[in-house]
Amino acid sequence: MIDPSVIRPEIAVNDFLPIFVSSALVLVFGGVYVGIYTAVKVKLLKPWAMVVAYSFWALTAYCLYLMGSLIHVGDFTAKALVVAAIGLFLLPFAVYYMQHQVHEENEH
Amino acid sequence: MANNHLTSESKQLATWYFTFAAILFGAQLLFGLVAAIQYVMPGFLYGILDFSIARILHINALVVWMVFAMFGAVYWLLPDETGIETIGIKIGKLLFWIFAAAIVVVVLVYLFIQVGPADETTIWFITEGREYIEAPRWADWGIVVVALGFVANLFLTGIKGRQTGIVTVLMADMIAFAGLYLAGMFFTDNISIDQYWWWWVIHLWVEATWEVYVGAIAAYGLITMIGAHRKVVEMWLWIEVAMLFGSGILGLGHHYFWIGTPEYWWEIGALFSALEPLPLVAMFIHVLYDWGKTQGAEMANEHTDEDNVKSVINNKPAFTWFVLNAFGNFLGAGIWGFFHTLPQVNLYTHGTQFTSAHGHLAFFGAYATILIGMMYIAVQGTNGIKVMKHTKASIWAVSMITGGVVGMTVALTIAGYVQVLVSRAQMGATWAAYFDGQSGLWFTQAMDWRLVMGVVTFTGFIFLAKDLLTTGKNPVHER
Amino acid sequence: MANKSVWSDNRFWRRSATWVTGFASVLLIWLTFDTSAQIAMGNDQDLKDGVVKRVPGPTVINYKISYEMSSKRGHEVPVIGGNDGEGNSLFQEKEKFFGRDDWSEEEAGKLLHLGKLASQAKNCMDCHTLLGNGAYYAPDLTKAWLDPAWGPDGAMQALTGKETKEEAMAEFLQHPDQFATHARMMPDLGITKEEAIGLVAFLKHMSSIDTNGFPRNFGRMQGAVNGK
Repeated sequence: MIDPSVIRPEIAVNDFLPIFVSSALVLVFGGVYVGIYTAVKVKLLKPWAMVVAYSFWALTAYCLYLMGSLIHVGDFTAKALVVAAIGLFLLPFAVYYMQHQVHEENEH
Repeated sequence: MANNHLTSESKQLATWYFTFAAILFGAQLLFGLVAAIQYVMPGFLYGILDFSIARILHINALVVWMVFAMFGAVYWLLPDETGIETIGIKIGKLLFWIFAAAIVVVVLVYLFIQVGPADETTIWFITEGREYIEAPRWADWGIVVVALGFVANLFLTGIKGRQTGIVTVLMADMIAFAGLYLAGMFFTDNISIDQYWWWWVIHLWVEATWEVYVGAIAAYGLITMIGAHRKVVEMWLWIEVAMLFGSGILGLGHHYFWIGTPEYWWEIGALFSALEPLPLVAMFIHVLYDWGKTQGAEMANEHTDEDNVKSVINNKPAFTWFVLNAFGNFLGAGIWGFFHTLPQVNLYTHGTQFTSAHGHLAFFGAYATILIGMMYIAVQGTNGIKVMKHTKASIWAVSMITGGVVGMTVALTIAGYVQVLVSRAQMGATWAAYFDGQSGLWFTQAMDWRLVMGVVTFTGFIFLAKDLLTTGKNPVHER
Repeated sequence: MANKSVWSDNRFWRRSATWVTGFASVLLIWLTFDTSAQIAMGNDQDLKDGVVKRVPGPTVINYKISYEMSSKRGHEVPVIGGNDGEGNSLFQEKEKFFGRDDWSEEEAGKLLHLGKLASQAKNCMDCHTLLGNGAYYAPDLTKAWLDPAWGPDGAMQALTGKETKEEAMAEFLQHPDQFATHARMMPDLGITKEEAIGLVAFLKHMSSIDTNGFPRNFGRMQGAVNGK
């Protein structure tokens, strides 16, 4: 919730473009991260590409941070964004782990 | 469509639904073009078919063709999933004709009567004037009756036949889908309450129940097209349901920032909106994973040189549309949704062309793609084709429709950016501010490009229609 | 054969999906009760007693409405009947609406009802946005009542030849094609005089709804509304 004594800061006109670009890139990079991760796991790409995947996650987190600071998010939203970033990091692990388990059980 | 290979009446009914849906899809694009021309030449059809009417027809045709194709897809997959003929199919067929006739009457009234006096008769017989669900009250009740009949078909068949995970999800989802429509059927003087419930219909359809529906259809598609393992696909479907409903139901909060509702919706909307893209990312991985696994297994089995590796896909055009769906859902609903969803940004972007950019790409990416894919599966089944290949027309259709929609989206995004900067951030959203933004060079040029891209999309649709009608007889497919 | 794990058990995920959906739905229903109470329309007594409502009663048309920065809320809010200096409504200063500032609860309610019906019967939302929702072919109407263009120094009173804001708006709504300000003209929708008055009441009422500061900086360019 907002602190009563602080007037919610406005977004500076010059900040709009970086905000839109960074928030779009959050998911672009995020998508590339999970895409490469999955591709490596199903052996469409070589294992070293995993490093690239993690760097894309780092870029995602950076974009999220940039966006959050430019729009002056409150405490609660900041936490929500951190949760989303961590969620995105864990997502392909969880998905892959579960998929793999089911495949193992059903095909061997 | 010739029905010689269809033994199931349910599948026959599905082809009727798909045919009518495709016609309405064409109508949607046509009226969209009228509206796009009016942005460039405001005098076009002024006083005859004003923007408001063109837009009503554009968005209502959109919703209705999707509902038709959704019903059609369910009638198509029911016999495959349950192993029996759909129960009450005769009533299903009757309801199809009632539904189609009602749509025609509603469209004619929109076109030729357009508006009415400010009383209840207008609400009952001409228009309810609420975006997306303008259909007059009599048609609302008609839709409720038809939807109940459809749900009854689905439930009776699901209970008697084999109740797979896909059918179970569809049963639960479709009853919610039909029930939510009731939230949009009353009149109130209080516009905040009006919009509160109006969003229950719009949001809980397109960001919850429709998304889950797409999950179920994608599951069916993966099983039929690439022979994915049912247990994996169904487990995945349940996870998706949990993620989509878990984020989507309360994601409703992002529509309650500015309509008079309390400030706590800022936090709720922001939190669940930030989570909403996650299931879309997950759906995307899932398709990649399943395709990679089955294709990988196939490659390992063949032990031959790369050129001879058999593709595991038995319907190329449909699979292309399904992949576009996974990608388009993520792009349109995910990326284009996320970048204006947080309240701090939405304060400036709410009600600008950003929303329409998001609307175009999300409806196309999340729904149009997969429903077109289902139409191809129906063409394959109707014509008894074993492996369906791309034709020139199907490739032109995919590229022009996708290119056109993406082009429109980019143009509208640029227009929205101008609007945010000029009309909102700098000038404060008044009448004068609005028109200053609309007359900017970037804005008007973006609208020109939107029209060009709209024409591209429509041309793509003509290829699609031609391909759907003729590809069944094309000798390139394996039978 | 790998061990059966709960994570790959269909029943586990089916139950999880059911619980998650159920929980989210129950939460939404609970919030709906809370919100419904907060956005229920107030009445004339509330306005007389100085009770702040997110959606005031229809007799708010008897009062002067403005849109000003609230130091407590951190954004603009509708201020009804005068500002205490901090952005809180005083509910005192009246303003004539079509020559009267004593519209009874019943009369004002009827006007609002007619206006809301007209807004739907004429498909307003398919060109304009209301509370930011609708089409983007014409200006947002959320705070249209407070738009400087309709005020004493704005262009519209002179254009329509009327003395007051509400009369200028009603005149425009009846003959929009005669008072075009841009190439993109509003068409003649056959709006009658009564419907026009109802619509203006609806617009004035809408401007009094607390929209959490949307739209931001409304009318700042002219400096006519919040003067910041």
